[in-house]
Amino acid sequence: MTITLPLNTTRSRPPAHVEGKGLHRPVWRTALYYALLIGMAILLLFPLLFSFSLAVQGPTVAPKLVPDLTRMDLGIFANVIQQRPIVLRWIFNSFLVSSAVTLGVLVTSSLAAYALSGWNFPGKALLLFFTLGTLMIPFEATLIPNYLTISAWQWKDTFQGLIVPFLASGFGIFLMRQYFLTIPKDLYEAAVVDGASRLRYLRSILLPLSRPALATLAVYTFLSTWNQYYWPLLITNADEMRTTQVGITIFRDFEVQVFNTQMAATLIVLLPTLLLLVVGQRQLIRGLTSGALKG
Amino acid sequence: MVTDQRVAPEVSTMSANDAGRAFPLRRIIANQKVRDTLRALIYFSPALIIFALFTYIPFFRALFLSLNVTDNAGEPARFNGLNYYIRILGLDGRPQYMQSMLLSFQFALMVVPLSIVFGLGLAMLASVRLRFIHAFRTIFTSSISVSLASASVIWVLIFSPATKTTQWIIDLLRINAPSLLGSASTAMAAVALVTIWSGLGFNFIITLAGVQAIPQDLYESASIDGASGWSSFRWITLPLLSPTLLFLAVVNTIGSLQAFTQFQVLFRGEGPEGATNVYTLLNFKEFWYDNRYGFASAMAIVLFVVLLLLTLFQYGVLNRRVHYS
Repeated sequence: MTITLPLNTTRSRPPAHVEGKGLHRPVWRTALYYALLIGMAILLLFPLLFSFSLAVQGPTVAPKLVPDLTRMDLGIFANVIQQRPIVLRWIFNSFLVSSAVTLGVLVTSSLAAYALSGWNFPGKALLLFFTLGTLMIPFEATLIPNYLTISAWQWKDTFQGLIVPFLASGFGIFLMRQYFLTIPKDLYEAAVVDGASRLRYLRSILLPLSRPALATLAVYTFLSTWNQYYWPLLITNADEMRTTQVGITIFRDFEVQVFNTQMAATLIVLLPTLLLLVVGQRQLIRGLTSGALKG
Repeated sequence: MVTDQRVAPEVSTMSANDAGRAFPLRRIIANQKVRDTLRALIYFSPALIIFALFTYIPFFRALFLSLNVTDNAGEPARFNGLNYYIRILGLDGRPQYMQSMLLSFQFALMVVPLSIVFGLGLAMLASVRLRFIHAFRTIFTSSISVSLASASVIWVLIFSPATKTTQWIIDLLRINAPSLLGSASTAMAAVALVTIWSGLGFNFIITLAGVQAIPQDLYESASIDGASGWSSFRWITLPLLSPTLLFLAVVNTIGSLQAFTQFQVLFRGEGPEGATNVYTLLNFKEFWYDNRYGFASAMAIVLFVVLLLLTLFQYGVLNRRVHYS
C-alpha cells in the first residue's frame, strides 16, 4: 500500500535549521552535538560494524565484539567467492532482475504517464483510478493467485517469473505524471508546429527534460527490487536461480556455525545498495518523500 | 491515499461553438476523440496489461478463491460461502486467527511509536548546522539500503548466544533462555528492535525533509519573542510536522501489520511457544505448507480490508488534529 506524502517537496528553499544561530553557539554545545552525532552514528551502524567484525575474525565459534586489529582476515571476502561461487551467481541474478525491472518500469511508466498527462480523452479518469488502485491493494492480497499463475505458466525458477510481474508500477506512473504536468504545454505546441509526432515529442523533449524524475524512479525501483525477499522465496527453488536476499538466508542455514563466511557474504550482497545510497541519495530521497513502498 | 485533484491545463483544439455548428464537424470531433482514446490506450497498454494480469485479475481471483474450498492445484473444488471468513473472524468460537491479528497489532504498537520518536529525534539532531552534517545524514539514512532479509541475518548473530552481544540484557532481565529470540517474553520485542532499526533510515529522512520544509522565519520571530528551544519545538516544529508524522504513522502501521520477512528469517518459521505467530506468518503457513489456497486467500482479503479501514481511520480521524500549513 502506498500513500502520498502531504509534504510540499516542490518548494525548494535553503534548509531551515532549528538551531539557526550557528555562529553564536558556545563551544561546549558544538562539542555536545558532535558527541551525540557520533554516538548515534555508531549505534546505527552497529549491525554493519558487527558483521564486519565477525567476518574478519576467521572461522571461530566464539567471536569477540571487537576484532584483534593486528590479525584481521581481510581475505575472507575473496575467499567466500572462491569457496562459494554461487554467491556470484546470486549477485548476477539480482543485478539482471533489478536492472530489467528498473528499465521496464521506466518505459511503462513514461508511456502511461504521457497518456495521462498529454491530452484529453474519455476514460482518462478511469485509467488514473486503475493506476492509483494498484497502490491500495497490498501485495499479500494478490500473492496466492500470482503464485498459481506463475506455476501454471511453468515460470518458476525462471527470470521472467522474477521480472514480468513487476514491470509496471502505479507509483512510477503517478510520479512521472506529476513531473510531466510541470512541463509547460507550449513546448508541445511548438514541437507540433515543427512537425513532431507525439512519440517524437515524448522521446526527444519530454523524457530528456524529465531526467530528475526518471533518475528518482530508477534508484527507487532498483533498490526495492534488489531487496525483494518474499516473491523470489516463493518462485525460486533451484540454488542457481535464487536472488541475493533469499540466497543469503539459505546460506545462513548451511553454515550456521561459520560466522565469518556468513557475514562476509552478507556484506558483499549489501555493497551494491550501500553504494547506490551514497551515489543516488538525492534521487532516492526525492522518491521517498513523494510516496513510499517498503517491502 | 491522496487522490490528486489537479488536472492538466488542457489545450482544447476546437471551441464549443465550432463543435455545435455543423454535423460533419461533430463527426470529426468524434473521430478525433476516438483517435485520442485509442492513442492513449496504446501508450497505456503495457502498464495496463501488467496491472490486469498481476494485480486486478489476481485480486478478484483471490476474492473468488476465498469463497471456495480449493484442491492442490489451487482450483476451486467446492463452494464454501463465507465459512472461511467466519472461521478467520472467530465467529465459530475459535478465535485463533483473531488472536494472531491481535499479536500483529501488538507488534505494530511496539514498532510504530518508537520508530517515529527515534526518527524525529535523529532529524532534530541532524538539522543542526555543523560541519560534516551531510556525512552524518547519510549514515543515519543508511539502514534504507539494508534489506530486511540481510538485516535479519545479521541480527540473528547479534542475538546469538555464541557472540554474547545481548547477554547483558538477558542477565539484566533474568530471562531463562539462551537468547532473546528464544524466550517467549522477549522474542516479539527483539523482532520489534530489528524492525525499528531497519525502518529508521526511512523515518529519519522523511522527518528531516519535513523539518527542512518549515519556514525559517517562524523560528526567528519566535526567538525574538523570547521563546525557548523547547517551546519552539513544541509550538512550531511539532504542529507543522504533524502531516509528516501522520503519514509516517500510517505507513509504519501498514508495514508492521504486513511484516513477514524479519519473522521468517529470524525464526526460520516459528518462534518460541507461538509468541511470534503474527497474522502474516499464519497466512504463509496456510498457503505455503498446507496449500489451503482458498483459506489463505480469505486471510489475505481480511488483511486487505483491515489495512484499508485502518488507513481510512487514520486519515479520517487523525486528520482533524493535523495542521496543514
